[in-house]
Amino acid sequence: MMTTKNKTVGYPKYAPGTHISRKDITNKNVTYTWWEPEVQYSWSLGPAYSRFLQELKRKKIIGRTCKRCERVIVPPRMFCEYCYKPTDDWIYLKDTGKIETFSISYLDPNARRIKDPILIGVISIDGASPMHGFMHYFGEMTKDEIYIGMKVKAVWKPEKERKGSITDIKYFKPLKGGEK
Amino acid sequence: MTFFDKQTDPTSPMHWRGDMQADYLYPSGVAGDKFFKHIKENDSFLASKCLKCKKVFFPPRMYCEDCFCEISDKDWFEVPASGTVELFTVVKIDTYGEKLEKPRVVGFINIDTTDGALLGIIETDILDENLLGKKVEAVFKPKNIREGTLKDILFFKKK
Repeated sequence: MMTTKNKTVGYPKYAPGTHISRKDITNKNVTYTWWEPEVQYSWSLGPAYSRFLQELKRKKIIGRTCKRCERVIVPPRMFCEYCYKPTDDWIYLKDTGKIETFSISYLDPNARRIKDPILIGVISIDGASPMHGFMHYFGEMTKDEIYIGMKVKAVWKPEKERKGSITDIKYFKPLKGGEK
Repeated sequence: MTFFDKQTDPTSPMHWRGDMQADYLYPSGVAGDKFFKHIKENDSFLASKCLKCKKVFFPPRMYCEDCFCEISDKDWFEVPASGTVELFTVVKIDTYGEKLEKPRVVGFINIDTTDGALLGIIETDILDENLLGKKVEAVFKPKNIREGTLKDILFFKKK
């Protein structure tokens, strides 16, 4: 029931209509049109991201420095968005960092419900300026163990499987004491 | 490399290629379902008539578009798979922009005894012929390979 200015208006809880289920489709009880359009894209990465991905293939994380802002930017950018000046130098960074924020997801990338949650979040890379980093998966930890500020280290794919993609890093695992 | 360096190698910036899954499933609805199932079994079409407006809908509708009244099942009837060419065009390229080996004629065909029309391929050898107002009839696929879609109509041929 919904109350407007002068009167109360009712609406049916159950909307009439013709319901069809997945079975009606698979058994072809109803006619339908199914189509899969070809939606391809090509995203030009530019000099900074190209170098970043090529270095990931070599098991290295690279950033850019801005001397005026005294900033180390990762993922690298050719232009500093703080001082509007081209960035200055390339700098190699460690593959360790700190969890800045995280999420426990019970949905997989296709939005299907899953029992074992996916841990995902933003990692501040060591050596870069504070709050500079990228998003990635977390592994070798449970949803109860993860916390903000946890030290993590990248787990890389073997050399043959690396192809210049952010997924060349499998996930970030907890960095134990004494480990570099 | 700095921001102002000129790029001399066009292959050095990488491109990230990908494709997006965007498939969809579109059920024909109650009226559409009846219409397509009829095509699957018969060599004719179905139409529905609003008794109030005297309008004959093709493809058939459950509701009248003009007076919004419901069209009952008994106002549905069979119509012949033939009609008159209202509009036509000669197509020389396919959907990807490639040149077709043999140009095709596509027409908008007003189905006989109805107020509706259908788009279809008109099979003709003479391309510069004026087809406007010409009578055509539908040629269907053999019954055993019909799927209950508009593709069950192979083409329209001149009567």
